[in-house]
Amino acid sequence: MSSSKRSTIIVEQLRKQQMLEALLRGKRLDGRNFDSYRDLEIEIGIIDKASGSARVKLGNTEVIAGIKVETGEPFEGLENKGALIMSAEVLPTASSHVEPGPPDEEAIELSRVVDRGVRESKMLDLDKLSLIPGKIVYTIFVDCSIINSDGNLLDATSFAVVAALLTCKLPIFVVQDDKVVNTGDFMPPPITTIPISVTAVKIGDSVLLDPTMEEEACMDARLTITTQSDGDFVALQKGYAGPFAISQILQSAEIARNKGEEIRSRMKGLNKTG
Amino acid sequence: MQEIKRRYVIPGDKIIEGNYKPLMNVMKSGDYLISTRIGIAEAGKDGVKVIPLSGVYIPRVNDLVIGKVIDRSSLSWDIDINSCFFAHLPAQDVFGRDFSPARDDMGRQLNIGDLIIARIVSFDRTRDPMLTVQDKDLGKIPYGEFIKISPTRVPRLIGKRGSMIQTIEQATQTRVIIGQNGIVVVTGRDIEGLSLAVKAIKMVEEESHTTNLTQRVKSLLNVHDPSELEQSENALSSTAEVSNDALSSTAEVSNDALSSTAEVSNDAVSSSSSSSSSPTPPVTSNSSSQINLDTQEQSYSTAESQPQQQQQQQNFASVDSSNIKDDVEQSENDDASSNLADAYQKEKKQEANNEVV
Amino acid sequence: MNELTLIDEHGKRSDGRGIDDLRPIKITVGVIKNADGSAFIEFGKNKIIVAVYGPREVHPKHMALPDRCVLRCRYHMSPFSTDTRKNPAPSRREVEISKVIRESLEPSLILSDYPRAVIDVFVEVLQADGGSRCAGIIAASVALADAGINMRDLVSACAAGRLGDNIVLDINDLEDKEGDADMPVAYLPNIEQITLLQLDGKLSTSQFNECLNKAIQGCKLVYEIQKEALMKKYFGNELELKEEVV
Repeated sequence: MSSSKRSTIIVEQLRKQQMLEALLRGKRLDGRNFDSYRDLEIEIGIIDKASGSARVKLGNTEVIAGIKVETGEPFEGLENKGALIMSAEVLPTASSHVEPGPPDEEAIELSRVVDRGVRESKMLDLDKLSLIPGKIVYTIFVDCSIINSDGNLLDATSFAVVAALLTCKLPIFVVQDDKVVNTGDFMPPPITTIPISVTAVKIGDSVLLDPTMEEEACMDARLTITTQSDGDFVALQKGYAGPFAISQILQSAEIARNKGEEIRSRMKGLNKTG
Repeated sequence: MQEIKRRYVIPGDKIIEGNYKPLMNVMKSGDYLISTRIGIAEAGKDGVKVIPLSGVYIPRVNDLVIGKVIDRSSLSWDIDINSCFFAHLPAQDVFGRDFSPARDDMGRQLNIGDLIIARIVSFDRTRDPMLTVQDKDLGKIPYGEFIKISPTRVPRLIGKRGSMIQTIEQATQTRVIIGQNGIVVVTGRDIEGLSLAVKAIKMVEEESHTTNLTQRVKSLLNVHDPSELEQSENALSSTAEVSNDALSSTAEVSNDALSSTAEVSNDAVSSSSSSSSSPTPPVTSNSSSQINLDTQEQSYSTAESQPQQQQQQQNFASVDSSNIKDDVEQSENDDASSNLADAYQKEKKQEANNEVV
Repeated sequence: MNELTLIDEHGKRSDGRGIDDLRPIKITVGVIKNADGSAFIEFGKNKIIVAVYGPREVHPKHMALPDRCVLRCRYHMSPFSTDTRKNPAPSRREVEISKVIRESLEPSLILSDYPRAVIDVFVEVLQADGGSRCAGIIAASVALADAGINMRDLVSACAAGRLGDNIVLDINDLEDKEGDADMPVAYLPNIEQITLLQLDGKLSTSQFNECLNKAIQGCKLVYEIQKEALMKKYFGNELELKEEVV
């Protein structure tokens, strides 16, 4: 059951006023344009015990994604495919508003939206990750820990997941005498496309990309749009209690596609520097 | 002139051995006095204290704080004062003793998200701080640029007798309201002046413990005023300040210190020179425990022209030894009272006489 | 596996260290922007980040104590932190370690200064490699100092153990699994008192004494690193001094 609740973050009236005045001048409180992203830092391979990992800093929002690879049973109905299991946890370190405990509805929504982007785009070709069909397949765990929260956890988490998957090294398992054996060698992951999520929020009549925590506390509604490499849409999620006009949605979709492409080229460059 | 030893410390560091009085953020451990915080330790004849460089704001009676309304009950508003406790503003304080929830609409006075500047009237170990907005220049802050800084840097931002903040206000044509709890609101007509003031404030916060900060702030603001009597930078202060944590048993702050704060601050509030007609109140600050400051600053007047105030050097020492000579010369002229609370009160009386309203 | 693979005839251990060598330690202070205090530690292959929030209001109110602050501590491992992927739900091991970490930090804090409030310490293990609880305590104490909480002393921690007949300093993951005893110790370096002591394995009386002493020596070495990290963040390059007489 989900119930409306009072926002835990109360933004000072002064700040809200400042924000709205700035928006009328086409600027945000941190000086950005409506469609600018904050500084995006991506560091890969920081957890060397994991098969792949990435640390993303989007402004002050910081997320770490780690990939662990095991073998196990396939999902029901997907006997010939590798299993992909994703989770995200907002750590209590992330802000004074986070209570330790099982994930709340926002954290679960976060996990599922990020998962959808990766899964629906078929970023990882799971057909290539089956070992003994119906019995044993690769099980890829992608787990995210959100360390510091300053808004737009959706995009930051999604970028961390994508960066980790792009740069991971999968152990090569082979089947010998009906048993699965780790050869000790590694292979790059079977990647088919690079999904990039772009989140926009509506404040008054303005649509802003990559909201800070403060902007999220003032927003009327939020829209996350995930596109894949060929420009197709693979996931959409609208959040919060206010409405979007149709024109705003279409406009945001276009911006998301273009912005997605910008960020995608950074992701493509990762393997070369990593 | 007093001999004062000074050094950087972390919790657990031994400051000095002997039968000294622990003043603030210091405790006795065997024969030694040790620091309980990260900061700058000062040991002199009158006692030992540590000026902390980090820590949450601990409320103290008579402090002026800026708080945000976050909730309300039928009889009071809950105020977030950036501390470990929420504070409360009774509706009676605003509406008067005959406040009746049925008749008086609290929402017409203050709503969630509003910012107020208030004074702490009571606080102790058993209950949350209570606020009042009854005094002159307290109340709702209707607009301005909002900044949060570490409460430990507030004295540095105010400066000796308000010198730092006056410098910033004058150079940027703004008014700056500072709460002891680290909340700062800047108002002004000119957008560039505002953003320059904000930059200057952030610079002070980040570099508060360094030397020559005033020079750097002045060059950021493009201020070059050789006629100012202000001395070059001191990072440290040797003041008999009240502990940051009024409840701290370790600091063993004497009741004298607490009551002298109360006295001084009452003076400060009443001598507040609000010569301006602006709606936003000037800052009156009681110094909390911290870096670089000669005791409880009285309020300084606003952006109007300042009387040249005689800058009396107190017993400051500087980490940068090239400044020590200046201080020594200056302080030899003073009535180098080692009890700074007394010295300050003496000054205040002097200044009250000189005060231009 | 016999102990020869853990420590060879020249006294060299599986990771190349000598009997009395600590793994490399790096501590960075103030890494989580929203937290009141924070620290990140790399201790060998351990990577642990700690955030401190507090003192702050207690929710629910009935948990508050009238005369002192409540200390809450959570030790938690990210699913990708261990060799095999760990389920994100808290395990019994994490619950126990949360408790011993809290009890190791509590004696250092002057909790009576903050009645009716709470101090939260969140220890998040991003990568684990033996001795993560010690590494967590080391970083937590630094984070508490960073948060400006009144403390009697820092808390330092280090483990010692036994590999065959050798008492060695600072047990790594392999030595933890295959060795004969593991004794983590937390210590107040100026007050000279022990706040955490556990033993997993078997030790004779003399081995116990040697192990304890070695762990305490390790704590003292760790303390210097904690101190340096704090001084560096707060006082920059002016680590010298600052003993001045005016």
